[in-house]
Parts: sequence; structure tokens; C-alpha cells
Amino acid sequence: MKKILLGLVLLATLIGSQFVAAAADLEVNTPAISAIKNSMQARHAQLGAFYASGAIGLTKDGLIAVKDANAVPLAQRGALTGLVKDENADRSRLYKEIAVANGHPEWQAEIQSTFAGRWIDKAQSGWWVQGAGGWTQK
Amino acid sequence: MQFQLDCDLMKGHDKPASGQAMMDCRQGLLESSHVKLPFALRVNELFLKYSPHLDASIQFKNASFSDEAGLHAAEKLNATLDIALKQSADAWLWQGKVDWQSGEVFWQPFYIASGGHQLAASGKLANGLLTVDSAHLKVKDVGELDASGQLDIKDFKLVNLNASLPSLNLATAYPVFFKPMLEKTAFANADVSGFAALKVELQDSEPRVFELVLNDVDIADRDQKFSFYKVNAQLPWSYDVAHTVSFSYESGELLSLPLGKTNIQAQVDRYSLTAPDIKLPILDGALHLTNISASRRAGQWYWHLGAKLDAISMEDFSTRLKLPKMQGKASAEIPLVTYAAGTLTTDGSIVLNVFNGTATVTQLTMQTPLGIAPKLNADIALRNLDLGVLTSTYSFGAIEGKLDGDIKGLELQNWKPVKFDAVVQSSPGKYPKKISQRAVENISALGGGGAAAAVQRSFLRFFEQFNYGKMGLSCRLRNDICEMGGVESTPHGYVIVKGSGIPAITVMGYNETVGWSELLARIKRVTDGNSKAIVR
Repeated sequence: MKKILLGLVLLATLIGSQFVAAAADLEVNTPAISAIKNSMQARHAQLGAFYASGAIGLTKDGLIAVKDANAVPLAQRGALTGLVKDENADRSRLYKEIAVANGHPEWQAEIQSTFAGRWIDKAQSGWWVQGAGGWTQK
Repeated sequence: MQFQLDCDLMKGHDKPASGQAMMDCRQGLLESSHVKLPFALRVNELFLKYSPHLDASIQFKNASFSDEAGLHAAEKLNATLDIALKQSADAWLWQGKVDWQSGEVFWQPFYIASGGHQLAASGKLANGLLTVDSAHLKVKDVGELDASGQLDIKDFKLVNLNASLPSLNLATAYPVFFKPMLEKTAFANADVSGFAALKVELQDSEPRVFELVLNDVDIADRDQKFSFYKVNAQLPWSYDVAHTVSFSYESGELLSLPLGKTNIQAQVDRYSLTAPDIKLPILDGALHLTNISASRRAGQWYWHLGAKLDAISMEDFSTRLKLPKMQGKASAEIPLVTYAAGTLTTDGSIVLNVFNGTATVTQLTMQTPLGIAPKLNADIALRNLDLGVLTSTYSFGAIEGKLDGDIKGLELQNWKPVKFDAVVQSSPGKYPKKISQRAVENISALGGGGAAAAVQRSFLRFFEQFNYGKMGLSCRLRNDICEMGGVESTPHGYVIVKGSGIPAITVMGYNETVGWSELLARIKRVTDGNSKAIVR
């Protein structure tokens, strides 16, 4: 019985989150969103090697984090932490702008968690991603 | 974790002969997954007359360590640490010296690439409070710091501090110490040179005195957003006493606009700043800021001021900003600008004198103007713009006349329009109204394919210019679509130019909706003047 109940709850949450994803247009574009996307795209060229070396990984809340800076020479660690900070600032702003562009600023948190799943799905193999149980390598 | 230590020990508790150590450990090693610390330890004294009295020196040779995330780490570190410790009545008296000879250290957010730095300090430790009676830090090529103070070692909180840096070389200090701290500011990517002197006083963990002096400092943004040369400043501040601060520069540039020699004086009183009047020379005019008042509360800036721009030459201005060359002079006045926690608002209206007419901006607000996605909202009213001057600025074909316009509910994101209701039309009143053949073609092209005077053109093309009675266009922009209209509606479209007199011409528009980016592309094609407008 408990299992069935749990199943039902799970199903309900799934439908719930599906509903938000279906209702919110995640591909919506405004000049603000495209400015943020351009900025993220430009940064990705620099972040690519850090994903691959395991220095950084994708977190379960749709951001990125320094996982192990030891993979990076000391001289570059300042730049690395700066990039992570900038990337997270852009990501948070992106979620906010998408919510605003959909006319529902209050959807920000749900949009962020939908994106978190997307980033992790799209991560290349070898990258580190954060699940419920901590860091795992794809 | 692995620990090794090979030592020669002197026997007995008596003081060893002079020059001889009590304990000499040439081969020490502390090693774990992220730590490798080879060291030599020499203990000269451990007890003196049966009371604890440590006098030792540790030398690290090619040491490396790192925390789990790698954010506090050192590599190839060679350093000597001398320490003396003795117990007095109720405290430990200490004396220490660090000589960091070589090796690199990353201590987030700072990275120091090489050694050559020394620290000497002495003080006492009692009741969980570390007192530094005097400390002298010498950072190679950067400067020297003298400090004293007290640190609560329970939470590493500075209780008192008295620090002075008499001569700081900004060219070497900026990349190491300031750049990492300014990462998110406009000053993150600049070249800096010159000298600074700094004094800081902290009492009961509260800042009490701060004084910054800048001597002939040059600062230039590498992205060429701004530069200031020969900056001199006296910026004293104290918690208890109000001070006058002064700041001046010989020359500079802001977004390609040259700034003239400027001298600013202001009063600071604890966390607020006021100045009755500041004059900033820009191009051939100047910006006057009046009744300036700023204060910082709960980590956020709040300020307000009035602004008046003395006429600057639009020709000079447009050339500098690489805009189409505009004629005339522009001046502006804003009674009150307010900035509160990231949002800039204006009270009253900004009146710009442009193209022999006026542009009045009201309801202007800006959010995160310096951020990555700034937002601007405003209403703009244009009155009596001289179409002759305007059309000669943008190679559009000549139109004689005057133009009024209203752009309501304008919203810009990242400086691009996303929403507005705009109407532009010929001003009421009597004045010569003439339009050239080329302008007719261009206007027709704006109205979209299938437009225009095609029928009349067959014989009207012999005329260079035509008379018109009125002209106008409107655009209601929503979701990147512009709903267009003209001065009159007809069953199949709208009238953009209504003819009058002889020879007269009427230009019609038929597309009721136009993609905004498409319209912009058309305007660009037309004003570039390179290609002939397409009239079908």
C-alpha cells in the first residue's frame, strides 16, 4: 500500500513538473536573454577544458561548481574560480529572464530545476555531475 | 597521513653550548594525499630554567599542500619560519619571522607567483586573543606594510587593527591583490600605474579611520570603456569626523568621449557623501551635477543628484561614437536622478535639444545599467524636429518639413527595443513640405513590398521633388512584431505620405504587420544608401 501511495506521489510530482515545463516556453528569446546566452557561449570555450579535466562539474541546482581545482595549475585557479562565479551569475539571470519573458517571474525556481536536468542530460561523457548522492562521472 | 622525523637530540635539560641546537632534525616529512611538506626543524631552546621557552626554526624545502577543493594551495614552496615563544605570568609572548623565498601560492582569490616576501611580527597570546604589537610585511616590488592589532582566534575576527602602507606600487599590486577583488566590477580588466598610500584603523571590529591617497595614478580599461590619467586623490574618512575628499584627473575618456581636466570635492560623513556641485568637462561642453547626495545602507548604494548638460557639438559627439554624423548641438537637463539598490529613476523630464527641435524623455527608469542585460523604460516626445537636418544625417533622400513623434511605453532590453507604441508625423502648422523622389522610394520600401506610388511613378519620376500635405507612420511593437499604420486608413492599407498641391504624391503602406528585425534591416538598407531601395 505504502509503495502504491509513494508511486502516486511520484507520479503527481512528475505530472506537476511536466506541466510547468509544458507551460513555460524555455526557448523564449528577448534581447536580455540573447545577451546572457552570448556571454555564456563565449565563456564555454574557456570552461570546456575544465569540465573535461574534472576541475568543475554541473550541480543539481542548475549551476556549476569547482569540484577539484587541483587539476588546474595554481596560476590558473584564480581565473577558474572567477569563471565559475561569472557563469553562475549568468545562469541565475538566465532563469530569471526566462521566467519574466514567460510573464511568470514566480516560475524562476521551477525553470531553474528544469534546466538543471537538461544540463546534466546534455553533459558530455566524462564530465562530473551532481546527483542526489553527490558527484558522479558521466 | 605519514610523518617522518630524524633528529639529533642533546642530552639533559641544561642549556646547550652556544651555537649548538637542542634538537636538530634535518629530515622531516609530513605527507598525505594533498600535502607534501619536507622540512628541517631546529630547536634552539625548549625550556629555560624549567619553564617553557621555545626558540625554533623550520625550513620548508620544495613543499606543496592543498585543501580538498584546491582553493588554498602552494607549490614548490621554500620558506623559513622562525618562532620564539615563552610563557610569562598570564600570557604567551611570541615573536615570529617568515621568509618566503620562492614558490607559488594560491589563496582564493589571490595568486602570488613567486617569493621574496618577508614578515616579522611579535606580540602575545592571552585569553583567546592574539595581540600583534608590531608587524612588518614586505611584499617584493609592491610595498611595505606596518600593522598592529588584535585577533580573536576563536573565529579569526579582527578586533583591532592599525595598518599603514606608505607607498604602494599600484602597477604591481593591482594584478595580484586588487584585480581578484574587483572581478565583478568595471575595474576588473584595466591597466593601472602610479602610487597609493593607505591607512586603516579598526576598533572593536568597526572601521574607524581610512585614508587613501593616490599619486599620479593612470587607469585604463583594456576594453576601452574608460580611462583616467594623472589621477590624484585625497580620500580621508573617519567614523567620528566629517571630512572633505578631493579627487582630480588631468584627462580621460568615457565610452570614447574625451573628458577634460576635472577637480571634484565632496564631503563625507560616516556612510554618506554630499557635494553641492560637480563639473565634468566633456567634449566642448560639460556635465554639471548638482545637489549630490549618496549613502550606503545595508550593503546597497542609494543616491540622487540633478544634472545639466551644457551644449555639446553633435557633430563631434556622433563622430566619436561612430554614429551617423549629426548636426547642431545637444543640451539636456534632468531635475532629479535617483538610484536605489540597482534601479535608476528620473523625476521630471530630460529635455534634449536635437535637430533644431526637442526630444523630451519622461518616466525614465533603468535597471542594472552596467550589468549584462540592462533594462530601460521611458516615454519620449519629439517636437519640431527639422526633417531637412534629420534626412541629411541619415542618407535617406531629402525631406523638407518638421516632425513630431511620441514613443510611449518604450522598453529596451540590452539597449534593444522590445515594446513601444510609437507615432511619428509631420508637425502641425504652416511650413514648406517637400519630399524628394529618393525619399519617396525609401519610404515606400519601409512600408514593405507591394507598396507605394507605383501607379503614379510612371509619369512622376520626371520630378525631383514633390509637395505633401502630411506624412506619418505608427508602429505598435509587441513580441518582435510591429503593427503599422499611417496618417489615414484606407480599405486596403494606410497612407504614409498624403500628397497636396502640384506635383503631389501619395505613398501608401499595405503591410499591417512587419517583423521588427525585418523593419530594422530595411531601415539599415535604406540609410546605408549603398543599395537601391526595392519598390515593387
